[in-house]
Amino acid sequence: MINFPKSLHQLHIFEEEGRLYAADLDKARIVELSPVMADILKLAETHANDKIIQTLKSAYNEDDIFEAFERLEVLEKEGLLFNRGENLTETLALESERRKLLVAIPGISVDSFFDIETLYAGTNMALSYMFQHLTKYVDLHFAGNQNRKLADNVYEVDISIDDFGRLSRRINETYFGILTLHRDHETWLLPLYQHKELPPMLVQCHAPRGHGGNALNSMLRHYAAMRDFDAFTAPSDYVREFYSDYVWDTSFFKTLPNGVDSALFCPMDKQEAKRELAEYVGDARIITTPTVGYLSRVQSEKGASVYLKLAELNPHLLFLIAGPSLGRYGSRELPDNLVYAGFHPREKLPMVYNAFDVYCFLSMSGEETFGLTVLEAMACGVPPIVPNFDGVPSVVGDAGLIADAENFDQDIGTLVSYPCPIDFSEKINLLLNDGEMRENLSQKARERALSFTWDKTAQRIIQFFEELRQKRQLASPNNLINVFAPNPPDVAFALKGNELANQAQDQPRCRSIILSMNEHYERCLMRDIMYSQKVEIGLVLSFLKNHTPREAEAFLAAIVEDEAEAQVILQRVQGLIHATA
Amino acid sequence: MTTNTPYRLHRQHKFEHGGCKYVADLESGDIVQLNDVEWEILQRYDTQSRYQIVEGLKERHKVVSIFEGIKRLEQLGARGKLLRPIEPIAHEVGFDLPETNSNPKLLVPFHFTNEKGAFDYITNLNRYQFLMHLGQFAALETFQFSEAGDSNPEQKEFEVFGDIRIRTIESKEKHTFAAPWYAIEGYDGILLLSQLLTDDPLYYRVPDVPIVHCIEGSQKLQSSLSKTFLTLYAFQKPNDTFVVKASWMKEWLGELGVPAKSVRVIPDGINTVDPIGKALAKQHTAALFEKPMFAQQPIVGLISGFEPNYGVKLISAFARANPHLAIFVYDPVLAEHSVNLSNNVVIFSADDEETLSVLPIFFQALDLVCFPAIPGTPLSLVLEAMAYGTPCVAMTKYGLPPEVESAGAAVKLEWRGLGNFRVSMSELSDAVNQWLKPSPTRAECKNVARDLAPKFTWEKTVQEVLQLFADGYQQTTNAPIAEKTLLPSIFCRQYDPGTGTTTSGVYRLGTNRYEHLETALVEILSEHHTPTEVEFVFKHFRGKSSTPVAK
Repeated sequence: MINFPKSLHQLHIFEEEGRLYAADLDKARIVELSPVMADILKLAETHANDKIIQTLKSAYNEDDIFEAFERLEVLEKEGLLFNRGENLTETLALESERRKLLVAIPGISVDSFFDIETLYAGTNMALSYMFQHLTKYVDLHFAGNQNRKLADNVYEVDISIDDFGRLSRRINETYFGILTLHRDHETWLLPLYQHKELPPMLVQCHAPRGHGGNALNSMLRHYAAMRDFDAFTAPSDYVREFYSDYVWDTSFFKTLPNGVDSALFCPMDKQEAKRELAEYVGDARIITTPTVGYLSRVQSEKGASVYLKLAELNPHLLFLIAGPSLGRYGSRELPDNLVYAGFHPREKLPMVYNAFDVYCFLSMSGEETFGLTVLEAMACGVPPIVPNFDGVPSVVGDAGLIADAENFDQDIGTLVSYPCPIDFSEKINLLLNDGEMRENLSQKARERALSFTWDKTAQRIIQFFEELRQKRQLASPNNLINVFAPNPPDVAFALKGNELANQAQDQPRCRSIILSMNEHYERCLMRDIMYSQKVEIGLVLSFLKNHTPREAEAFLAAIVEDEAEAQVILQRVQGLIHATA
Repeated sequence: MTTNTPYRLHRQHKFEHGGCKYVADLESGDIVQLNDVEWEILQRYDTQSRYQIVEGLKERHKVVSIFEGIKRLEQLGARGKLLRPIEPIAHEVGFDLPETNSNPKLLVPFHFTNEKGAFDYITNLNRYQFLMHLGQFAALETFQFSEAGDSNPEQKEFEVFGDIRIRTIESKEKHTFAAPWYAIEGYDGILLLSQLLTDDPLYYRVPDVPIVHCIEGSQKLQSSLSKTFLTLYAFQKPNDTFVVKASWMKEWLGELGVPAKSVRVIPDGINTVDPIGKALAKQHTAALFEKPMFAQQPIVGLISGFEPNYGVKLISAFARANPHLAIFVYDPVLAEHSVNLSNNVVIFSADDEETLSVLPIFFQALDLVCFPAIPGTPLSLVLEAMAYGTPCVAMTKYGLPPEVESAGAAVKLEWRGLGNFRVSMSELSDAVNQWLKPSPTRAECKNVARDLAPKFTWEKTVQEVLQLFADGYQQTTNAPIAEKTLLPSIFCRQYDPGTGTTTSGVYRLGTNRYEHLETALVEILSEHHTPTEVEFVFKHFRGKSSTPVAK
């Protein structure tokens, strides 16, 4: 049974054609009401059930009132009429001066972002830190299914992604932007790009390739569909570079480096850390033998097999693995110098990193845009050795060693690289045998790590949204009119014998004509009334009425052989649209 | 009058809440937030046309925002919110306008002063006669754009047209909209007179109102004609029609690629005078040109439609081959430039009332009318020349034109395009000389020729034109609503790990699958272009084997 009092959505109750309705403005839906339901709603926020019954029973019989309760309960379960969770209206009104970002990441529990111990995937970890730092600048509203305050300046709001389109104007009036995450198996975001009124969307991309081509194809779909004032963010420039082979306008790929919590991850007394880890693992060799570290899920994609080979190649060194479990490697006979160091809570990770003399990052999955653990190791003053692949070298800079890797243009299975064990092995030995170099890189690593802060990340997000909003202001409607007309057979050519007559056949059969009058019957071009253009120009003009320039790009790539020529066509048409708007 | 908004309102309730305006759709259950201009548009949408909405709101709102507002509401309509597409109603009756008002109202955009030089006197005169006769069965109106305080300079020019009403549009308005805006409402049709063949296409953007475009075949415009016609053809809506004055124009347009259904042949009416007798006519002709041979020798009347350079060559060759014939050439361009040809040739054209008044005398003097059935040749003059009982020899590609059927013979013309054709001089001379000889066939043809005149009257011309408007109007009311696709498509590149290649494809939202590009392209183009245009585009690319569209 529904229990009153309850706070209501913003409702407008009206009568039309003899029937009563409630317009639920929070859900942009209308609900038909019986007279008793309407009367209950008038009392719903202030009266308990028995009071409501008492008040209404002179006008209605009790059965009708109970039936109305039941019908209201059904509507409540559908998320209509009543606030689910807290009534945030007043709370938010008090803090209204702050800008608000709507965060739309369905499928991940909102709470998990604020309980960092539950997170071990780098992406979610990065998001969690990012959110925490964003709250300095904006309020975060997570689209969810109830209203509640999660932390200072962080709320869950009862807005379903399915309702974004219906609520687009309201969302646009309320929010500075929408922050979301690209995941290649999801398609919910694509229809939202069709709503021109939604505020700019920043789509975080942490897995730019891999997954058997699925990541790439999904990204290409998003790239094509997104509005001119949406963009991707990726943690390193590499993503933009990678996509420059597939798209023309790489400005849609914005680099948003991760940060590191350099107060938590900091250099400690190395021997102390080693002792602590040795004690935890029960292996005193950690104190006495030079250590190589690996902190990740223990999987082929993350380089576990290569790490195993490194251990076999270097029996004089101790190879430590910290991760959730040994996975399939647990059932193998592992070399004696490979030690599983266990899975540690976040606050213990600095101790684990500090116990490593060098840090090995071997991941070869298509998801490594950054390598958050590399940065954490660096913040602890541990020099990293990373493969020369994707975004990781840009994080390391000159504060570590870059080892050879065979990179695949595209993924094979789900792998996009194969780090070279021999080169890795040489670099590990080089670093462990040269104390001065190790010390030097350790300092550099810490210094470099300090330049990656989550605060910077948060500020950049705000800056990106500002840029996108500006871009939106500059957008021009495309009201030009273009007509396709056939070309007459070229008489002059036909006169001059076979050779030239053949050329005449190659004459374009059709042309495009741009009119000086636009769809609003305005004279948008003054001198002539018709301007002949190549067919492709007209096609792009018509195309851009309901499709994005990125889609036109894919389209042009299909009809124009020379890519440079196709790019010029798109530029010209866009220039024309802007100039005549 | 058509109410040219394509949707009707759902049952709905409008309200304001917290300073915002909303409309609740009682049919779909949606609530849509509206801005001020959309709010006002919605109040008018069911009862007013787009034109009335814009005109009614433009004092208070920016024109752009009114158009954008209409667009947004109609986009919502396309998704089933607030509006529903109008169900097509089967109209049994045809042109139902006579019920309300006996005469249909036609817009005749016309720049009288601008076009004087474009056509010859007869062409202009025929148009004037056409309008005069049309004015008896239709209310004609034309636009005039005036600056404030302007003394209506064009007013005087229109006075000669008597019944044409002039709608003056203030210059302030002119800067807001191009002329076709004022044509979108209040007219049952638009009559384009193909003045300079450049200014008219914008009227084709006016929705629903049928357009009849009367095309003059002028030898002056020949070089640019083919391109212009193909362009105009591309502009046509299904309820628009080209009117040409002679069957050969239609044939020629057919060869260019304009299908027969888009073109109607409606000849001009012709004017004849009471005959004065051939002998007297020949004497007058000889006297007027000071060429005695015109009184003594058979006279061949050549109604020219030639491109001037070619015309000079052909006429000279013909005159040299037939020194025994007196040759009367009607050619406005050659007459204008006083071209001197052989002694047995005179070149004439009617340039004013006075020269026009003598033309029937020359025509009565003719023993044979000769003409090329090509776009520059005016049929009305050919018929007027034949009307006194003169048979003809036509230089044609397809045999004797139907307009002069059984009144003469045809000489094969090898025609490769405007200003580029060949006719065998010996065949032409043989045919001409053969037909000048008395024979039973010639006698029969003379009778047929004499009977032609009553068939070509201005009344008939204007009735046929009005019927085209009526048909166009009916077609508009019965036109099916174009179905919109509800599943949006995304054009994007697609990487195939199996082949390592990237191609362009179309990803369909809703089904979440890739489709072939061509299907989606047709959808996109159909939203903004006529089926004819879409066909042009596909033909264009099918000619280029390297494109995927060609597959």
